[in-house]
Amino acid sequence: MKTFRFSLKKYRNYLIVAAVLLLFLAIDLFGGLRRTDANLLSQIAISVILALSLNLVVGFLGELSLGHAGFMCVGAYIGGYAAVAMHGAIGSSVLVLLLSALIGGVAAALAGFVIGVPTLRLKGDYLAIVTLAFGEIVRTLFRNQAVFGGALGLDTSSIRFGTKLYIPALLLVLFTLFVVQNLMSSKHGRAIKAIRDSEIAARASGIAVTKYKLTVFVIAAFFAGVAGVVYAHHTSPVDYGYFSFNTSIDILVMVVLGGMGNLTGTMISAAALTFIDVKLTTALSLDAAVRNLLYALILILLVVWNNAPALRHAREKYSLRTLFEKLSKKFFPKKAEEDSESAAWDKIPTKIPMDAILSADLQPDRAFTPDPPEKEEKP
Amino acid sequence: MYGEDAGNVADGKKIPPEGKPKTKIPPHGGIDAAPHRYEKRKEERTMKKAKRFLSVLVASVLFVTAALTLVSCGSDTKLGFKDGTFKIGATGPLTGDTSAYGISVRNGAIIAIEEINAAGGIDGILFSFDMKDDMSEAQKAANGYFALYEDGMQASIGAVTSGACKSFADVAQADGVFALTPSASAAEVIAAGDCIFRVCFGDPQQGTIAAHTLTKTYQKIGVVYDNSDTYSAGIYAAFEEEMQALGKTYETTSFEKNSNTNFSAQITKLKSAGCDVIFLPIYYTQAGLIAKEAAKQGYNVPIFGCDGLDNIESQLDDSVTAEISYCTPFDVRSTDPAVEKFVKAYTDKFGKAPDQFAADGYDAVMIIYEAMKAAGVKDVEISAADLSEILKATLTGGSFTYSGVTGKNMKWTADGSCEKDPQIVKVER
Amino acid sequence: MNILINGLCLGGVYALIALGYTMVYGIAKMLNFAHGDIIMVGAYALFSGMALTGMVIPACILAAVLCTLLGILTERVAYRPLRGASPLAVLITAIGVSYLLESIAQLIYGTDSKPVSIGNFGTVKIFSADVAVSSLLTLGLCLVIMVGLTLFVRKTKLGRAMLAVSEDRGAAELMGINTNAIISLTFAIGSLLAAFAGIFYLMKIPSITPTLGSMPGIKAFTAAVIGGIGSIPGAMIGGILLGVIEEVCNSIPAVASYTTAIEFGILILLLLVKPNGLLGKQRREKV
Repeated sequence: MKTFRFSLKKYRNYLIVAAVLLLFLAIDLFGGLRRTDANLLSQIAISVILALSLNLVVGFLGELSLGHAGFMCVGAYIGGYAAVAMHGAIGSSVLVLLLSALIGGVAAALAGFVIGVPTLRLKGDYLAIVTLAFGEIVRTLFRNQAVFGGALGLDTSSIRFGTKLYIPALLLVLFTLFVVQNLMSSKHGRAIKAIRDSEIAARASGIAVTKYKLTVFVIAAFFAGVAGVVYAHHTSPVDYGYFSFNTSIDILVMVVLGGMGNLTGTMISAAALTFIDVKLTTALSLDAAVRNLLYALILILLVVWNNAPALRHAREKYSLRTLFEKLSKKFFPKKAEEDSESAAWDKIPTKIPMDAILSADLQPDRAFTPDPPEKEEKP
Repeated sequence: MYGEDAGNVADGKKIPPEGKPKTKIPPHGGIDAAPHRYEKRKEERTMKKAKRFLSVLVASVLFVTAALTLVSCGSDTKLGFKDGTFKIGATGPLTGDTSAYGISVRNGAIIAIEEINAAGGIDGILFSFDMKDDMSEAQKAANGYFALYEDGMQASIGAVTSGACKSFADVAQADGVFALTPSASAAEVIAAGDCIFRVCFGDPQQGTIAAHTLTKTYQKIGVVYDNSDTYSAGIYAAFEEEMQALGKTYETTSFEKNSNTNFSAQITKLKSAGCDVIFLPIYYTQAGLIAKEAAKQGYNVPIFGCDGLDNIESQLDDSVTAEISYCTPFDVRSTDPAVEKFVKAYTDKFGKAPDQFAADGYDAVMIIYEAMKAAGVKDVEISAADLSEILKATLTGGSFTYSGVTGKNMKWTADGSCEKDPQIVKVER
Repeated sequence: MNILINGLCLGGVYALIALGYTMVYGIAKMLNFAHGDIIMVGAYALFSGMALTGMVIPACILAAVLCTLLGILTERVAYRPLRGASPLAVLITAIGVSYLLESIAQLIYGTDSKPVSIGNFGTVKIFSADVAVSSLLTLGLCLVIMVGLTLFVRKTKLGRAMLAVSEDRGAAELMGINTNAIISLTFAIGSLLAAFAGIFYLMKIPSITPTLGSMPGIKAFTAAVIGGIGSIPGAMIGGILLGVIEEVCNSIPAVASYTTAIEFGILILLLLVKPNGLLGKQRREKV
């Protein structure tokens, strides 16, 4: 029993993606899949890859990267260009996609390496601004090359994949998940989380901080590049304007909303936000300003709620996790007990402020000592 | 234990404001009593905070929902396909930085649809029009196209801006759907296939016209173009080529509109080079800034531009005294009866005068209507591909011409470009 | 010559914005991403003020007051609850505030650009070059503000309290300094500088859009980092350096397309050589 549930937890994310893929394949097979839905599904897959890879940097490493769209841009332009070039020589469009994804991903990873070596020594805020600067530089460079189509963008209409793009795209999501999840549950993953929680302590424990930071950064850049290549197969022309700061922020919102360091949450929020975004623009013609307002409010409120030191108790009381735990305790008392012990390993611990540790032994244990009857003194 | 009423008012008054250091010693009580009471207050305070936070959350969600309802109800534009009508679709930037263009095209198209339907459509079959928002993005334009196609679109006026329209044109061509873009001027757009046509001048056309017009009157031409914009870079490339063919010299400077709209260096450069005219193949917002910067530097040479300069009056102030003229197919002050009728209908409905985008949008819909009438299309259920074949044949057949608000006797070649005469308009202030 | 003076003028605007960044960063230890958007709010306030009163000076005062209040408000609502939380959280909130301000401006004023004219003061001849008076005015006022700010921080009690908070917040609190008030004051001053920067920016580029503040904001932050973040003279030097570089790049046609890339490229290169910026202090990390 225990082993089975353990593995269910481990494979949960894969199962979700595979179920979605099979569901839509089945619908497609019976001819019921509308083109808009297939199209939307590939866009969702791109968002999920982007969000998962950004989560590596922001959620697990604890560094803020504001240039994720820049890496996507490198992948889209280089991978797209390679795919257009290969298109004539190689007949199979799937092979072209996979090869160009590899090329675009490697190009983006190289860019990540080049940018990471000098900047990862810097503290968080500097890194944020340097990645932002990188995003702008990359766009400017690609825009000014006539080879890549200049201001109009790279014409990738010859490799436009059409409605079946969602199948390879979702398979690439699975691959991304596989790499991210295995990396994070390995000893390297624990080292990365240690760096996030206290860089100095991690360094003192003999963790090669810069090496790990660089590795994570490069892997994240690789997958952003892969997402870019899928984008190039999905949309033509590949327009430099798309890879702006706003796109980086959209990805960041997906990660923050889904929960930093939470892969399932990230996948769900990336899918939901993309779905809402596409539906709002095509169905309602909703003003972009209203959408941005919504994003901004969500971002502020969620971050304050999740991080404000003063809200710690309330957070513990009202959080979704607590709610789930309560519910499961109510309905499956035995299972919940098991859960609380066995599942603890993959929980992302909230940071405990120093004063909480210092005053921990002074706090009355609320579970066992009932409060004395109120004797309220009047001031 | 700490129920709903835990944070009552009496307690609230005693509690020091939040954000005070946590190390503060509680005001009353002995050492042994202190930790517990302190903890309790802290708890209550947190609960109150959490409640306040939740109320902020609820309030903001309510606010946004209200805003959403307002926005979705506020637009009275009669968009959307109706059964038993010919369905014409389009995408364009209705929101975002370039929304002014998309909204103008949409409004112009709505005027055209109303005019057609008031005249009884084709044998009593009316027309309906729908436009999806693409925010000038390629991806959103394709999304919009797919949605329109599934809604039963039979012909389209493409997308408004070049990048988005390229994307639209690619997918429309693959389905064999007719697209007559009002304003996407890049050469690559109509090159997407034989189903794609345009109403406006192409960028290369404009660059060539400008080179010829300017070299006739002026000795040294100074150019400021936007290197981040398809329209501007497209015109400039053709201009450059033509100038080299003519063997004339000129001074060039450029900028990027999103990060770099400080024009002092560019103007200084042209001024010191002694240019006697400034050529601005850009849109009116930046052109207005350039005109003002030139005035600030006391450099009052004539300014010449392309159809993007339409509406530049809105961006100028008294300091600008230079003569501004541009080459455009549409002049809002024209005394042509067709233009006057359109301007009146537009102004009555939308409360402001139409710009060139609105005129292009109006003409695009009217051209499709006239071509369908000329070809005798009467089947309301006609498929998009069949209609496309008919429209293509009509437009390029040689006998079909259209006279509208953006030109007289417009003709189309098989590559999709439109032949009409430009006119030079001077800005009057 | 003219290019140099224009560059100095643009640099002055960048320096003013960079000063706001540097002060907030130095004292509150946070990157106020929304700083650029306060400029935008100031610009719109000026626009509305001029539409209402028709005069420049009251509109400027309105903009300054509004920006100061907005600075204090954002600090109070969005940043103070997060004091003591991870810097990442604060940074993301700041980005959220930036987005919020931009979208509110978009909803109120629309996305089309609004022309503004603060006045044309003509040109004067300096060394055989025509220089716009407004450029000189901007440059002069920027210098006055910078000197004033330096004196304020060095000589007054409040200024020294700011330095103390910047140095060690806990110790400053123990010495009886109200750190929250000092941080609020810092935000107020930073936002006031942003309002001034907004006014000067409009003198230079007389048109307003909702995203007006973001690019100058990012560039000014670049300037602050180049100069060494936290250092007031560093912000000035960085700002002016960046302004001159931008102007020089713009005047060379072959390079003009790459201006933005060059500006940011310099940032990355400089951080490679001097991770603390030109005048930045070497800070030792504490455990």
